[in-house]
Amino acid sequence: MRTARLGAKLSESGGYPLSLSTAVVNQHLDQALNSPLFRNAERQSRFLRFVVDAALQTPQPTVKEFDIAIAVYDRRADYDPRTDPIVRVEAARLRARLREYYEVTPPDRVRIDIPKGRYVPSFIQVEAGTAPGVSDLSILVPSFRSLSPDPGDQSFCDGLTEEVVHKLAQDHRLRVVPQSAATWLEQGKATPPRYLLEASVRRAGAEIRVTLHLMELTGGGAMHFSNIYHATINDIFATQERLAEQIRGDLIEALHISNAGSESIH
Amino acid sequence: MDSITIRHLRESVALLPTGDLAPVSEFYRRLFELAPEVRPMFTREMDLQAKKFSDMLAWVIAHLEHPHELCQEMRALGARHNDYGVKVDQYGPLGSALIWMFQRTLGERFTPEMEDAWLEFYAFASFEMERGSREAAPSR
Repeated sequence: MRTARLGAKLSESGGYPLSLSTAVVNQHLDQALNSPLFRNAERQSRFLRFVVDAALQTPQPTVKEFDIAIAVYDRRADYDPRTDPIVRVEAARLRARLREYYEVTPPDRVRIDIPKGRYVPSFIQVEAGTAPGVSDLSILVPSFRSLSPDPGDQSFCDGLTEEVVHKLAQDHRLRVVPQSAATWLEQGKATPPRYLLEASVRRAGAEIRVTLHLMELTGGGAMHFSNIYHATINDIFATQERLAEQIRGDLIEALHISNAGSESIH
Repeated sequence: MDSITIRHLRESVALLPTGDLAPVSEFYRRLFELAPEVRPMFTREMDLQAKKFSDMLAWVIAHLEHPHELCQEMRALGARHNDYGVKVDQYGPLGSALIWMFQRTLGERFTPEMEDAWLEFYAFASFEMERGSREAAPSR
């Protein structure tokens, strides 16, 4: 799927770039809210409409937990999110509902995404006719690269790569292709993977920084997800495992797969 | 659920006072404050209800590495809640009361990471319960 993240904040001028318009987003929102998954979920529907409206109406929207509590959950002006986490609970449920909705109804023009940690939605343009099936989730994972001058650091990168491959491979919905299989693929003996996961690691003393890119090869190498992870090395194995788990969780989210649906064998 | 989420869920439950149903009783008190309309759905004696909830919490914690069994149990629970008349919008207050119970009982020992873990788990569990409810009454 070729996508362009077109969050309301992304347009410097405050308008809507490319072919994505307010009308398209609203039409998609109406369609989603009329689906069986949302029809009986009145508050969650109001929540979604509220944050989408806020994002569409304001060039640089800020939606706070308090605003949603007042507007959607009928809380009073003395609402304290510390003692009533209703908005955080419902936001997590709404993300799960959206994931389920898009698994059942792949979007054809735009997808609404509410990234974890914020309430302002992103509108992601979807190229018509290219919405993927879950079976397309294949990822090539070459060895992560060390950018530090110490040649010994490559062994940390190799270990981290192994840990990430191991964790991703436990999810039956993903087809994980490690470096060792890349040559085999190059010989045309199997369908090439759709995604490429690349990472580089920098170290300064005990501090490390991992820069990760997930690119969609079938979309011309478009960046699908990118993030930077920080860690302090105390115990090498524990650090690798912790980083790998963070990366796995972020990739599952970036690929819009429900975490709950994976058959974990931890 | 990843292993870190599972660890946070287990650690938070382990911090609850063993064998003490007071936190669960407080959970129900809070739920009825947030959603008084659900009070009539609870017809059994509240101490018994608290014990039942506590047993379910222990079962969940013991089965976190078994998503298939968890899904089945949550769907069955959702189907029973459908019989009680629970509506989709009432899952929100229930989740709020659950996290409030941990906050109130554990204070600062209930870390933001633990809260995130419970938010993730509850989104999963309540969604499976909804699914069970829909399957039990597809016309609703």
